[in-house]
Amino acid sequence: MLIEINNISKRFGATLALHAVSATFESGQVYSLVGENGAGKSTLGKIIAGVYQPSEGALLFDGAEVNFQSPAEALDRGVTIIAQELSLIPAKSVIENVFLGIESSVGPFVNSAQDKVRFKSLVEETHIFLDPNSVVSALRTGDQQKVEILRALARNAQVIVMDEPTARLSASETQNLKSLILKLKSQGKTIIFISHFLTDVLDISDHIVIMRDGNIIRISNPGVETHDSLVEAMTGAKIGSTFPPKRGSATDKKVILQVNNLSRSGVFSDISFNVSEGEIVVLAGLVGSGRTEVARAIFGADPHTTGEVKINGKVVHLKSPADAIAAGIAMIPESRKDQGIIPTRPLRDNISLPHLNLLSIFGFIKRTSENSLVQRFISSCGVRASGLMIAMTNLSGGNQQKALFARSLAGGPILFIADEPTRGVDVGSKRAIYQLISEQADNNLAILIISSELDEVVGLADRVLVMRQGRIVKELSGTEVNENSVVAAAFIEMGSK
Amino acid sequence: MTATDTTVEAKKFDIKGLANRYAIIWATLVVFVLLSVTTDNFLSVENLRNILDQQAFVLIIAAFATIVIISGGFDVSLGATYILAPIVGMKVENSTGNLLWMLLAGAAVGLACGLINGFIIAYAKINSFIATLATSFIIFGVAYLVSNGTIQTLSNMNLRKFVTTRVFGITSATIYGVLFIIVAAVLVERMKFGRYVFAVGGNLEAARLAGVRVAKVQIICFTLGGFAAGLAGTLNCIRTTSAQASDDFSVIFAVIAAIVVGGTSIAGGSGAIWRSFVGVFFIAILVNGFNLNGIDPIYQRIIQGVVILLAVGADAFSRSNKD
Repeated sequence: MLIEINNISKRFGATLALHAVSATFESGQVYSLVGENGAGKSTLGKIIAGVYQPSEGALLFDGAEVNFQSPAEALDRGVTIIAQELSLIPAKSVIENVFLGIESSVGPFVNSAQDKVRFKSLVEETHIFLDPNSVVSALRTGDQQKVEILRALARNAQVIVMDEPTARLSASETQNLKSLILKLKSQGKTIIFISHFLTDVLDISDHIVIMRDGNIIRISNPGVETHDSLVEAMTGAKIGSTFPPKRGSATDKKVILQVNNLSRSGVFSDISFNVSEGEIVVLAGLVGSGRTEVARAIFGADPHTTGEVKINGKVVHLKSPADAIAAGIAMIPESRKDQGIIPTRPLRDNISLPHLNLLSIFGFIKRTSENSLVQRFISSCGVRASGLMIAMTNLSGGNQQKALFARSLAGGPILFIADEPTRGVDVGSKRAIYQLISEQADNNLAILIISSELDEVVGLADRVLVMRQGRIVKELSGTEVNENSVVAAAFIEMGSK
Repeated sequence: MTATDTTVEAKKFDIKGLANRYAIIWATLVVFVLLSVTTDNFLSVENLRNILDQQAFVLIIAAFATIVIISGGFDVSLGATYILAPIVGMKVENSTGNLLWMLLAGAAVGLACGLINGFIIAYAKINSFIATLATSFIIFGVAYLVSNGTIQTLSNMNLRKFVTTRVFGITSATIYGVLFIIVAAVLVERMKFGRYVFAVGGNLEAARLAGVRVAKVQIICFTLGGFAAGLAGTLNCIRTTSAQASDDFSVIFAVIAAIVVGGTSIAGGSGAIWRSFVGVFFIAILVNGFNLNGIDPIYQRIIQGVVILLAVGADAFSRSNKD
């Protein structure tokens, strides 16, 4: 099937998200759409999949114009989208999700025996192995994505649009997805792969569609592009080094955070480490190795069973995030959307929320003090917004993340924890966030980062602690910090491969 | 597309946003003007004063129930509290003859009911609709127990003055209602507590991780709601001079209808007290218009139901169009 988009524009209210773009997509090829947040790549993907309708221009399938009013209509023509947020029914089994709405039936009853046969042949065809009876909510994100792909294939999809499919996957899950994409391609499917992860894009694409501000800048291929050339085209600016320079050794610095034998049964055990002022320590390891849980325990968000946490040499008993904030700890949580922002509220309220005790008198908010504090940290963290009262949900992912930095730093913490600080933000914001983290270290803040992105781990860390199965298995510092050493420590049991 | 096109788009968009945002005000104005033109006795000072007087106790409850809803909670037991509190209040009045003790007793009963609801919801983490449905039964049961199923009457009829005294023609009850609205609006718009309420309703986990003591905020919200219902019930029974367990508790439906019609989202995290004030007024003039035009009360109910569905439907529609 040949898909052509012809001078397609898309407006949302006053915003022009796509500006008369044209491109062609052939079967059996992998197309990547890359660009910063707001470049229009998701919008384009959603138009092809019938989620949005173009404001102007035409969408052609094999030369004939189509006019999808819904994703269901697009699916009838063999196009499906796997969205950033998965759309499975968590309490149902894999097989029920795969055949949802297209179950085999005998009269009004579901013919589950027939569905099992269909599932088996689907597995044989795709080599996607999943237990059909597992409940979806019990699966890892990567496996849930496989269910979505199976569901698409069960509906005979020829074109699969994947919106940021690797954003929530661990390194090994990403590898599996990449080989699956290549397999689908060899079966003649068209894959439209929307991603921020340029390494993945360069690995699997036949064609790369580079977008900026609603325009297609160019369509090229991995043979002629590099990481830097892509970033340059996406941002429209020549880039220097992504990561700011590191600081010297921190041996003479004061220890701020000291964790001794911290354990939580079944989750992590015997965690001991410290973070000094002006030092960036990164917790690395696979998703599920216990990094987030350690950070949350330090922050009082989750309980721990044994062990102790010392701040400035004194043992603290933090029973809630409120206690932790009062003790001088700030944390940016793993999921911006679920745990970070209050979407309905203004930017101002989102930033001042943890600091209202200092900003109010007899319970009344001192609004001038509040505004000036918020204003100060908005500019120091580089949040770009049309005003303090803009609803948080209307900001881009990068700006929301910077706003969470502003929220954390406005309290003047002595220890700053950031869990996946650049997840789902565009390249430009990423560099700004790295700069910001480095500046805070220069200002003597003690910093603990959790990251699943190797270049980030290596580029930021003064020291790396690698976790595996709930334990710290390796500490790396100085020149020992490189991608190979981190990966080796995270995957020791796979060392023979 | 040229630059001028963009600005035109922007303007159109703004008008649409304004229309959505203040929909309840436009609707109220339209109904108000329509009734003023079509109905003879509608636009008179006396009629408008009466409307406000009739809605005084709905306003008291709606003021604080809106806070509960913004916090992401829902309290159906306010109807039961509204019945129980005055029964206890009347008993206290009968034995002491003292207005202040009566009011304190009614308010204290409401406070206690709210506090219990709050603890159940914050710590047992039971869905607030279900939890308060269950406590409604309990509170009604207690009301029958305390009253022994009999009617309680005011021993000192002079106390009625507390709610019927007119200042510049406006009843004291109206003034209490408006005072509650103002207090609630200040709490929500100007105080730290209000920010916490919005944060908890907007994203509970994010609020907790931002250092908000979520359980405390929820408990205070439900306690405030119970307090308002207890006091409103007591004031209402001072006006009617009697209280019994089988009294009409449908005030809770009027309160929820007004909040929802006003545009506060049942999903939590957004809304405003002024919205509930306008919502109460909107439904009140609608009903008043029906009465003045001699429309059968049965049809009134049906039309009211349709209006609520329209309001909630419009809200859901504008939300789904946003993404």
